[in-house]
Amino acid sequence: MDEFEKRLKRDADAIQAEVSPELRDRIDASIRGAKPVRPVTPAAEPSPVNPWWASSLTGLAAAVIVIVLVNWNRPEPVTVPAEPVASVTVPADPDPVAHPLPPMLDIRTADFTSPLEDELVRLQSDLEKARESVKKDLDFTF
Amino acid sequence: MTDEQLVEASLQGSAAAFDDIVGRYQEKLLRFLLTRSACRADAEDAVQDTFINAYRYLASFDSRWRFSTWIYRIAIRNAARQRRPEWHDSDVELVDDSDPLKECLAHSEQENIWLAAKRLLSDDAYDAMWLRYIEDLSVKEISSALDKSASWTKVTLLRGRRRLSAELRSNTPAAERRESYG
Repeated sequence: MDEFEKRLKRDADAIQAEVSPELRDRIDASIRGAKPVRPVTPAAEPSPVNPWWASSLTGLAAAVIVIVLVNWNRPEPVTVPAEPVASVTVPADPDPVAHPLPPMLDIRTADFTSPLEDELVRLQSDLEKARESVKKDLDFTF
Repeated sequence: MTDEQLVEASLQGSAAAFDDIVGRYQEKLLRFLLTRSACRADAEDAVQDTFINAYRYLASFDSRWRFSTWIYRIAIRNAARQRRPEWHDSDVELVDDSDPLKECLAHSEQENIWLAAKRLLSDDAYDAMWLRYIEDLSVKEISSALDKSASWTKVTLLRGRRRLSAELRSNTPAAERRESYG
């Protein structure tokens, strides 16, 4: 405690504040006549019906109603009459060899371009050379 | 027994316990209120009202706080209420218009520092200084008693101390000024 604080306390003690007996009697009398105030705690109210089940049931009922309404005016699904399978089956061909391709196929002749024709010529030439070579080898062997 | 134990006993119905509380605080409160009221009669009324209010609302006392913080808060409110115009009946004039603090001071060559404080500081600053240096309340407790922030309390205490120290230095003869007043 420094000098400043000592001075504050010393000067406070210098204030004469003796409580007179009359004042003490007044205080005692007023306290005897006073009634303590108890803190008011809010009375526990009866708990309302727990609405969780109500809300669940309400929601469920609403869902059912919505489903019914949506389906009430819903048009019947268009059902396509099933076509007999036999009508679309291809009639059995008695002679598949005579008609190797289905008659409905569009058959066109292949138009070879000139490079392909040249290639074919070269292949035929190579084949001929190979055949002669083989024939020569056979003659030489036997 | 501590103040808080006396409060607990009072709440259990012990009249003697509250008598002990009155005995502990009656002089402290009267000294404080003498410095805050217009006259001694007002100070005594404020002391009486403070104890009545404390007794009535004792159940609402929060035991986390010191009892002194709580009862000084009540006293400060009563003192503030007395300063309102409606407190004094307009038909009745104060007979004694002198400062009760001056009357309660023993004659001294030096001015009482609390007279200077009353002259120089605001009411709130005066209360803060008193609670800090006379009642040894902490900053937090003073903040609670005055319903102010801790920052306000710290700044106010610092400024109050500086102003009073300067006042003391100015009134102290040079030979005695060697001791620092902070």
